[in-house]
Amino acid sequence: MSSLSGRTAVAGIGATEFSKKSGRSELRLAAEAVFAALDDAGLSPADVDGMVTYTQDANQEIAVAREVGIGDLSFFSRVHYGGGAACGTVLHAAMAVATGVARTVVCYRAFNERSGRRFGQPDARLGGEPSSQGLEMSWHVPYGLMTPAAWVAMFARRYMHAYGATSEDFGRVAVAMRRHAATNPAAWFHGRPIMLEEHQASRWIVEPLHLLDCCQESDGAVALVVTSAERARDLRRSPAVIRAAAQGSGAGQMMMTSYYRDDMTGLPEMGVVGRRLWEQSGLGPSDVQAAILYDHFTPFVLTQLEELGFCGRGEARDYVADGGIEIDGRLPVNPHGGQLGEAYIHGMNGIAEAVRQIRGTSVNQVRDVRNVLVTAGTGVPTSGLVLSGG
Amino acid sequence: MTLITDPTLHDRLTALAERQAAAGEVRGLAAADPVNVPMIRHWADAMGDANPVYTDAEAAAASVHGGIVAPPAMIQVWTMPGVNRRARQGPTPVDDVLAMLDGNGYTGVVATNCEQTYHRYLRPGDRPVPATRFTGLTGPKRTALGEGYFVTWNVTWYCDDEPVAEMLFRVLKFRPRTDRAGSGAQDGRTDSGTGEASAGPRPPYPLRPAVNEDTAFFWEGAAQGELRIQKCADCGQLRHPPGPMCPSCRSAARTHVVASGLGEVYSYVVHHHPPVPGRQAPFVVAVVELPEGVRIVGNVVDCPPSEVGIGMPLRVTYRQMDDELVLPMWIPREP
Amino acid sequence: MRTLTEDQVEIGSPLPELSIELTPTAIVSTALATMDFTPVHHDVEGARAQGSKDIFLNILTTMGLVERYVTDWAGPEALIRGINVKLGVPAYAGDTLTFTGTVVGREDDEFTVEVRGRVSLGDHASGTVRFALPE
Repeated sequence: MSSLSGRTAVAGIGATEFSKKSGRSELRLAAEAVFAALDDAGLSPADVDGMVTYTQDANQEIAVAREVGIGDLSFFSRVHYGGGAACGTVLHAAMAVATGVARTVVCYRAFNERSGRRFGQPDARLGGEPSSQGLEMSWHVPYGLMTPAAWVAMFARRYMHAYGATSEDFGRVAVAMRRHAATNPAAWFHGRPIMLEEHQASRWIVEPLHLLDCCQESDGAVALVVTSAERARDLRRSPAVIRAAAQGSGAGQMMMTSYYRDDMTGLPEMGVVGRRLWEQSGLGPSDVQAAILYDHFTPFVLTQLEELGFCGRGEARDYVADGGIEIDGRLPVNPHGGQLGEAYIHGMNGIAEAVRQIRGTSVNQVRDVRNVLVTAGTGVPTSGLVLSGG
Repeated sequence: MTLITDPTLHDRLTALAERQAAAGEVRGLAAADPVNVPMIRHWADAMGDANPVYTDAEAAAASVHGGIVAPPAMIQVWTMPGVNRRARQGPTPVDDVLAMLDGNGYTGVVATNCEQTYHRYLRPGDRPVPATRFTGLTGPKRTALGEGYFVTWNVTWYCDDEPVAEMLFRVLKFRPRTDRAGSGAQDGRTDSGTGEASAGPRPPYPLRPAVNEDTAFFWEGAAQGELRIQKCADCGQLRHPPGPMCPSCRSAARTHVVASGLGEVYSYVVHHHPPVPGRQAPFVVAVVELPEGVRIVGNVVDCPPSEVGIGMPLRVTYRQMDDELVLPMWIPREP
Repeated sequence: MRTLTEDQVEIGSPLPELSIELTPTAIVSTALATMDFTPVHHDVEGARAQGSKDIFLNILTTMGLVERYVTDWAGPEALIRGINVKLGVPAYAGDTLTFTGTVVGREDDEFTVEVRGRVSLGDHASGTVRFALPE
């Protein structure tokens, strides 16, 4: 068993409300969520000596530290590749804690992604500069292929072709997520479930994706406190032990346009993450009672079920159609409603839900949860976690 | 933005012209409809041509023709591509020459000569097939419109294997002056699919690629009407998108090959929302698989989005997006 | 409508003038009848965006009108063998296209007529038409 497994834990979670217009600065959102997470853990800002966020986050660690009153930092780090960073922040924090580089690390993500800069909007500058990423984008942006929905739709079309999946198969994922969100008061779509017919009737964004295949855009912030498992057991909340944490990138990887590999129907980078997580945790797909699968767009939920070993290639549509991802299904997925239903906080809100499931405090609590799998951004270099009780 | 004249352009043009001339006659697609009275009547009506041998069966029967014939000057009409059938046109040896000129700033076009010879009158039921030969490139010449090249090609129309009509067509491809050069310019549309006469600089296309020393060869190729694929100079592996080091053998020695220009749809999307600058939705973006063994992303154009499908055969074409940028794009082809 | 006989065609004799009013309808209907859907022949805004002052006649129509000019004179059974045209200024909507012509030669059974089509800007088309008359 890896030296990382079981040595650290998420001891606190905090979040702002999720909205379409927070009405406050991103830095303020970050500070509020970080302070809430510390309070949840029963720790004070003075206890924090490490901070991790996404490279995409606009709030520098030192700025958040100043606002919250965090003092000396001995560790700060950032994780790249958009929403693929989510579980990576926890991995970095866990490594820092396990090695003694830091004792208490805060991971956070804060943005006004709806009222401020929207990721879903085309940005002509994407291909603008000759950095490696700019050059990579330059094979796509000039043709107008420049939104996350479009990048994902390209994979989805090939997946449909290879396995006979249909738009309705994607729609069933959206329907399930909205059903879960409907009973989650923190969710933007609280009380607003949808029918498959509504999904089918929703307008095209980028064929084959309808509007309701796409997660919402949200304002908000989520923060997590990572410390040693041993110390976490003495804190206010029962710990969510980090049983495994991994990042993953595959051969021929691109940011979100890995169209040049042999196959376009899988997520090899998620395969890397999955293999590392199962190996590190000593667990397998049948050992998790719930999963938080990154759902910025519906098709990749199907792909993840296959890539992580919950079903065979091309079988996810049947798995979903059979009710497999419902709260009482074989693998309850995103009981909080996911990013399609709760909010798009770049995957951080999903980690918080996993912690609640381990604690037994979720509004949509799955019974007898011992282990929860969490994944981060799909189609990008990504990351994952297995959290366990204890 | 200034146009840079590539000093090697003339030599490359000449070499391309020789190659295209050597390619000989390339057959296109047969007329969509056989020669027919309704289209003749519509034509004669619009032209104000009352000649009864074209439309009056009785008078035509009594004439030297013994029945209805088509006006000889309609010959080109039968094989025009139509509103949305441009995509169905086969390639001609002229396309690449015009594309190279377009890509190097010779974006203006005016037709200068049209010479037709009719071997016999066509009758209803005849279904002519055009065959195009590239026959000449002269220039650069100073003209009233700007510096330009004269490009000449010949088309022979066949019914079965009988040549029924011939045409020589010549256009001037010129660099538009910055003042409005369009006055005096005549339509340059031809059945080989050239663009229109254009005047003055175009607004810059907003979606520009970043280009560096590892990728410049590709964009330079596109500007010259070539789809270039990086090739490792040591192990020979082809690679797209290109990069500075061969992932197979770690060699940094690179060259490129010019792709056949054929491909097929491997995957595709139809973009509807949100609006994309410089683009009009809906538009199609595809991952195109090339017979050379690499994939490339590009737009499928001249084809309704609803007709695009995985496996659809494509042929590359080139679009001048502004005064500097040429993008390779894809149009459907017959398998 | 009668077709001329060979002895009625005299080298050096002029053809009667033919004037055609280039109404927008004439420009558009001929463009469509020749299957030419290029916007500069039917879309005023499109034509202006290309630097032209208005929609203008397409080449296939120019060829057709040259042919008509000669057969209107020579008669319905004249056999058109070839048309060579040098293209000049555009023929815009609102202008008048006036054809003039002269018989310039004969070789065996084939006559050659020189044709000019003028608009207000100058020569729109000039060239020759070759034809034969039935025995």
